[in-house]
Amino acid sequence: MRIAPAQLVRFLGARLLSSAVVLLGVLIVVFALVHLVPGDPVRLALGTRYTPEAYDALRAASGLDRSLPEQFFSYIAHAVTGDLGVSFRNGQPVTTTLLQRLPATISLALVGLIIALLISVPAGVYSALREGRVSDVIVRLTSQFGVSVPDFWLGLLLISLFSVTLGLLPASGYVAFADDPAGWLRQVTLPGLTVGLVAGAIMTRYIRAAVIDVASAGYIRTAVSKGLPRRVVVSRHIVRGALVPVLTIAGIQLATILGGVIVVEVVFAWPGLGRLVYDAVAARDYPLIQGAVLLVAVMFIVVNLIVDVLYAVVDPRIRAA
Amino acid sequence: MKQRITLGIAGALAAALALAGCSAGQSVDIGGSGNSSGQTLVAAIGGEPDQLDPQKTSSYFAFEVLENVYDTLVQPDASLEMQPALAESWTTSDDQLTWTFTLRDGVKFQDGSDFTSEDVVYSYRRIIDEELSNAWKFATVSDVSAPDDKTVVITVSQPTPNLLSNLGGFKGMAVVEKSNVESGDITTKPVGTGPFSVSDYVAGDHITLTANPDYWGGAPKLGGVEYRFISEPATALASLKAGDIDWTDVVPTQQVSQLAGDSSVTLGQTPSSDYWYLALNEAKSPWNDVRVRQAIAYAIDRDAIIQAVSYGTAEPNQLAIPQQSFWYTAYDGYSTDLDKAKQLMAEAGFTGGTLDLLATSDYPETVTAAQIIAANLEPLGIQVSIRQPDFSTWLDEQNSGNFDMLMMGWLGNIDPDDFYYAQHHTGGASNAQKFSDAEVDKLLDAGRVETDKDARKDLYAQAATIIADKASYIYLYNPSVLQVWSPKVQGYEARADRAIRFKDASLSE
Repeated sequence: MRIAPAQLVRFLGARLLSSAVVLLGVLIVVFALVHLVPGDPVRLALGTRYTPEAYDALRAASGLDRSLPEQFFSYIAHAVTGDLGVSFRNGQPVTTTLLQRLPATISLALVGLIIALLISVPAGVYSALREGRVSDVIVRLTSQFGVSVPDFWLGLLLISLFSVTLGLLPASGYVAFADDPAGWLRQVTLPGLTVGLVAGAIMTRYIRAAVIDVASAGYIRTAVSKGLPRRVVVSRHIVRGALVPVLTIAGIQLATILGGVIVVEVVFAWPGLGRLVYDAVAARDYPLIQGAVLLVAVMFIVVNLIVDVLYAVVDPRIRAA
Repeated sequence: MKQRITLGIAGALAAALALAGCSAGQSVDIGGSGNSSGQTLVAAIGGEPDQLDPQKTSSYFAFEVLENVYDTLVQPDASLEMQPALAESWTTSDDQLTWTFTLRDGVKFQDGSDFTSEDVVYSYRRIIDEELSNAWKFATVSDVSAPDDKTVVITVSQPTPNLLSNLGGFKGMAVVEKSNVESGDITTKPVGTGPFSVSDYVAGDHITLTANPDYWGGAPKLGGVEYRFISEPATALASLKAGDIDWTDVVPTQQVSQLAGDSSVTLGQTPSSDYWYLALNEAKSPWNDVRVRQAIAYAIDRDAIIQAVSYGTAEPNQLAIPQQSFWYTAYDGYSTDLDKAKQLMAEAGFTGGTLDLLATSDYPETVTAAQIIAANLEPLGIQVSIRQPDFSTWLDEQNSGNFDMLMMGWLGNIDPDDFYYAQHHTGGASNAQKFSDAEVDKLLDAGRVETDKDARKDLYAQAATIIADKASYIYLYNPSVLQVWSPKVQGYEARADRAIRFKDASLSE
């Protein structure tokens, strides 16, 4: 960290303030959207047959009989104190439900990102340094395949190979890391691999382009003309110069996976945020939808903040800006 | 930077709101005590229950679990006849207006407290007074009382021959424990009198039941049951074959014939009492003309629909009630006959046009069937435009009468009154198609109070025949209950009412 502490504090303060404004905006938009989307949570909860009295009773109990502005202001007033209300369906506090889903979501996101980085950094750099050669074409075709393949299909393929045919890994379910680290690893491998392969393919193309971009920059030509060995130029200059775009894409991918990879979660019966949001939307569980989107927004902001701080560390030019 | 954040959020929002599916939960560890000597059976169900309060949930996923946790006063046997459960016997007065139930001795809730008649009164009063979704089942009930600890008296305002089906048809009418309700724990830590108790609930992942060694019907053979939530059939099947789970009802229909010949799994298949139907909106012209409705009934190809939605596993039926029920009425008034259909249309002076068909993406079979129906109606000059909103929107559209034709199913009915009254009586609570026929009304009203079983069966046979003749509903088929389990599972059978009972199941080595 060669950055002045005072500068950092100022930077973080400004970011926190703008984040709060963004979150308030998100709240307003989500609140408006969930109420605009057709579909009645009360009717869904009651099933197909019920009396008008039963309908009115549940509507009142859910607070849906109040005017929209009234509902909105009471929601905001509670949200600022960290109270996101209770789920329409089971009366559990939304905050509790979201926190319970976090470990599985974070497990999958981190394992997926690590696998994606392990694939994409070497493949992207290697491919860029061999631009136009056969090996470059092979990497590009492979990553193109990885980007195009439906993760649904990829997940089922991995299940039929590793669970059914080889009997090596479980096809579904989740074990908490705290309860059983080995079991956690067995469970997270296949979904993590599915997420990682797809994200890795996207990142490979991105990293390849970034490295090619940096390699043609003026300061690299200077380094080469100074007679520095190729290995030094690549490791010290090109890779470091390409770190910023790599951070950017890694941040975007991480935030995306944290927001829930619904298809992968459905295939592997993984108890992540994606399925929670999916279920909440289907049931029109307004408090839960609002809370989950808010949490996803917070995670996006946090990941972006971390990425921005890392920028300042790896690239002196950004610090001055 | 900012641009990227907002784009990301907008993307997440769009994704979240462009979706639809079913549930959320919480983690509870209750450390239940029970029979730990037996093994735990792992069952995969298609989704997570919304909550575990049997009287408030309407989710089948919840009932797959609660079936084993709770009891009702009476309960259906395999042929759906009502048998004693918490009540060991009952009598009705001569005027049919007073039902007296004698309760079983020595029954306890899973927390050790005694079960008495007060619990029954409390449970029923809760459904009636709080206007819960099953309150309509008590429509004729004027009083529920407990003259002593072992007796419950139910007074009805008119003879109610289907009272037993109403009280015991499914676990939505379960006897709950007052303290469990009042503490709010019932949504996640329900306490019942059934063969298993809920011992652990990890949100989004699993619910574990532990055997209740003191169960009045004898201790279960299993030590427990673990429910996991797997919505993807291919994953469920792979998990079964890999030995991760022992039982599932998340079955890929297209593989049923293959599974039937697969010795590594046991396939349970039985026709269900569910049925799927089409209904035309009679509040709109030309669908108010019975000849136009009949024309459509003659134009559709039932066998093609069944092949497409179920790979031939469903039973074609031109009425609601399946063949194995006591209340079954034979009817084959319709066949695929385009000439007949065209003739009826000509008589009605209807030359064709567009038809708005309301299906829903939450029940994919409605979308599949809709596509076949569209092809069936084309020769009649009817252009079908299919809508497939999610179920929540579908319900809104149905209730506001915003459709020409809709397709849906009714699940889990037992008594003929449940099959016909709300759907076809003038002004019936579920009569979205606005069918109205004086003769049908008279027969359905009579069926509600006729206590002689054979006479009652005859009334419903007449009513159902008119309903089908006049195409209030165009009935399509009874789907099959499809479940697969490991050959290690013994003593388990698939049931027509889709009740999942693990009390007598066991796992062999």
